[in-house]
Formats: sequence, structure tokens, C-alpha cells
Amino acid sequence: MFDLNEMVMAQEVLVMPPYSGELFTLTYGALVSQLLKDYENDAEVNKQLDKMGYNIGIRLIEDFLARSNAGRCNDFRETADAIAKVGFKMFLGIVPVVTNWSASGDEFSLLLENNPLTDFVELPEGHSSLNYSNILCGVLRGALEMVEMEVAVWFVQDQLKGDNLTEIRLKFIKRL
Amino acid sequence: MTIYTLYIFDRNGTCRHYSEWNRKNQSGLSIDEECKLMYGMLSSLKSFVGRMSPVDQKESFHSYRTNKYKLHFYETPSGLQFVMTTDLNVGNITDILQQMYCNIYLEYVVKNPFCSREEAVKSELFKTKLDEYVRGLPIFATKLS
Amino acid sequence: MTIYSVYIINKGGGLIYQYDNNVPKIEVEKTFSYPLELTLKIHDEKVVVAFGQRDGIKVGHVVLAVNGLPVNGRQLEDGQDVMELLNNDDKYPLNIKFGRPKLSKNEEIMFAGMFHSLFAISVQLSPVPHSTGIQMLETDTFKLCCSQTLTGIKFVVLSDPRQVGQDSFLKKLYEIYADYALKNPFYSIDMPINCELFDVNLQQALEQADKITVG
Repeated sequence: MFDLNEMVMAQEVLVMPPYSGELFTLTYGALVSQLLKDYENDAEVNKQLDKMGYNIGIRLIEDFLARSNAGRCNDFRETADAIAKVGFKMFLGIVPVVTNWSASGDEFSLLLENNPLTDFVELPEGHSSLNYSNILCGVLRGALEMVEMEVAVWFVQDQLKGDNLTEIRLKFIKRL
Repeated sequence: MTIYTLYIFDRNGTCRHYSEWNRKNQSGLSIDEECKLMYGMLSSLKSFVGRMSPVDQKESFHSYRTNKYKLHFYETPSGLQFVMTTDLNVGNITDILQQMYCNIYLEYVVKNPFCSREEAVKSELFKTKLDEYVRGLPIFATKLS
Repeated sequence: MTIYSVYIINKGGGLIYQYDNNVPKIEVEKTFSYPLELTLKIHDEKVVVAFGQRDGIKVGHVVLAVNGLPVNGRQLEDGQDVMELLNNDDKYPLNIKFGRPKLSKNEEIMFAGMFHSLFAISVQLSPVPHSTGIQMLETDTFKLCCSQTLTGIKFVVLSDPRQVGQDSFLKKLYEIYADYALKNPFYSIDMPINCELFDVNLQQALEQADKITVG
């Protein structure tokens, strides 16, 4: 079990290195647009982004654990809080809202009011099934797999497609 | 106080790193076999401790001692295990093992994109940093026979 | 001193004596509606909480009873399968009792054997020559102390993690073993100890040890 307050305090001490956030956003944009050129359809690009995210996630989890001093979660609610309040804050500087719990407590949504990956982005026509920020799903899946949790992660809403909010849904599948 | 050996295992039981400083006795096994035996012993110890504990546990064991040496154990939630053997005068060093994870393993292995995630760490930088860190610890006595 | 339990293991790794002195009972009872906010799995023929820790119910706890009916392994006393029952939304609300499982006799024997091997491996893996096996094992919830006699008998005591002074208790235990088991002509060496005098004296020693910290 972990103490959330302790973790939030711990990470405030650890200031992120002063890289430009814009450089990050631009780099990601260039990556997605290159993928769109290299692959034929949106589904394939989504898949590639998810794969890359997964490879980031399985490494990023160590950074998360080392810097947050987090212990093992024994409840999906703890996991949700750790992701939103510590993970997103630590790596993206935002704190999504955790909501829309399923009755059995195995599914929830993360609501993002502004997604730093999509600053400056306008989705071109004909890419309605592209999940531009799909890399996030892969990161979450990879990171959780390393702490022995199998989850499914997908986009429900996306501001890039005209929705009011960006919503990522996580479903707990099993303990590995 | 003195440090004898250090083993780092990943969640699949692969020995990612082994080093020794003042070791005075060999197990009579090749280093590969010894690592396997060590990892096996630690897994059994973990399940032993988990089931024998009279109350619910958060973490597993952190050390055992014999009449000659002490073995310290720290495991991250992602299943990395840091195992150090020392003499008996060393107290609880969980924080040292944790530091080793945060400041050395994380920086020079996890963040190094060319470090394979399946085999022993080859990075010389990592090995040097780790060796420096261990030699700089107060529990690493300098004057030794 | 808080001693949880005592084990005596013979030189072949067989458990010849076990006594639970002061094992805390951990049980939580709660009424649930459907669906259950806990992930359960079958482990070692028991229904175990795998994920979803809440209200004192911890990961690793087993289902002990449903609606007051005791659970035997995977089944209720009346033969119903526990998992089937808990997955059936018509049966809710259900009152379920969870708790930390007690070691079964078989598990005690198995873990005694396991400790015996761990002890031997810790000798082999020693970085310094002439080491004994594990004498003390420290965890966040208990401390295990072990003394092995020259004849190969192991006395193992599980106690509170903050406890010190188990050595004298282990020594006392050895004396009781020598006096009331070995000197009893009807006790066969290396076999389980079923001697009343041994039990009585061990309990006295435990009571005395309990008082030490109080005073």
C-alpha cells in the first residue's frame, strides 16, 4: 500500500529537468505524422503508437517507482489515483480526473482537460479513426504490466475529434 | 563493517549484475549456477515468509543472518531484486539498496536505451558508477586484510 | 515477549513438534451487493482475494464463510461451489467472511521441510567460510529465530519483529526437549513429540517468556 500524500510530497521535491515542453510536443507530432506517411491506415498507426508506448511504459515505471517511493497497489482505486495524481503529474504536468467507475470497480476513466501532446494539432481530414495520443494507452499498459497488472486501455473521447474532453478508459483484466 | 557481494535480479530471475568485493569463500558453483541457486532460495524464502507470517504483510523479508554473514534483500514493485551480503555489524540497509536502484540502476540501465532488458547489464558506465557508490559507503570498510 | 509459534525440526527436515502460542486472528465480515468489488481466484484449493483491497479485507485473505455457512476449500459446507455462488447475481446481498488463512497441518510440515532446505542453501551461498545456516530472519511482521544443535535438531521460534532475547528462550526450549522428550524412554528419536510433560513445560516456559516484557 502507498501513502498518496507522501508520494505527492516526494515528487514535489524532485523537479523535472528544464526541457522545453514544446520540443516534446513537436517531436511527438513529427513522429505521428511520419507514421501516417509510412503506414497505410489509421488502425496500423494506432497499433504502432501503442507498441512504442508500451516500450516506454515498461521503462518509465521504474522511474515512477524510484521517484515516487510508491509501494504495490492492492486495489484498482489506488492504482487509478497513483496514475492520475502522481504519474500524469510527474511526466506530463497534468492531473486528470478519475471518474466513471464501473459497478464492480474494475474500470474507470481518466478525463483530460488539456492534453499536452495535442497542443498545436489539427487533425487532417480523412483520419477519423486515428487516435493521435494512442501512445498514452501503450505507456499505461506497459507500465502496469511491469507491476503485474494486465489492463486494457483505450480512447473513448478525444478533443481533437471535437469532443469536449479527452477520455481514456482503463479496464482491469487480471493480476499477472 | 564490510560488504561481500551484490546480486541484482530481474523479475524473470535473470541475474542482471553480480559483483564481489571482499568475498572469502566460493560456493563451488559456477557464477551462473550460483545466481540460479540464490534466486531460487530468495523465491522460496519469499513464499515461506508470506505464508508463515502471523499477520498480513506489506513487504517480504528484509534480511537474514547466520553466525558469519548477513544477507539484505530489497525488491521493487516491478520485481527487481537487490541482494547484498555483508558482515554481521551492518544494520538495516534497505535505504542503501533503494538508493542504488533510484540513483544508479535507474539512471544507467533503465534510461539507457541500449541496455537489453533480458540479460546481464554490459554497460561499463553502470559498473563503474556502482562500484564507486559501494566503495564510498560507510559500511564498506577500507582497511582489510 | 510475544512469541507466535514454535517449531522443532529433526535432522532430516521433518517436523516433530509445532505449537501456536499467540497467533492473532484476522477476520472481517461484510455484506456485499452485486457485483463484488473484489477480484477472487482459486489458489491452493482456496478462494483467495487477488486484488481489490478494502475495508480491512486484504489481498491474500480467503473466503471463510458465506451467510454464516463455513467454507471448506472451494465449497460451502452444503456442497455449493463458492465461486459459482459469488458470481450469481440472484443470490445477493451476501454476507461474506474473509480472513487470513491459518496454516494447515500439511502446510506446517511442508514449510518445515522448506526451511530445512533454505537453511542448507544459506550455508552453501555464504561469502565467508564456516558459516552456519540462517539464525535469524527479519521481516516487517515477524522475526524468525533458529538454533541448530550439534546433533542437527532445529528449534525455530516466530515472534514479534521488535522482540529481542529469543536466544535464552531457544536455550530453554532445548533443555525442555532434552529433559522431557529425550529422557522419556518411550519417546523414539526423530519422531513427532507426543509427551504430556513436554507440552506442560513448554507452555510454562512460554508463559514465563510472555511475562518478561510485561515486567
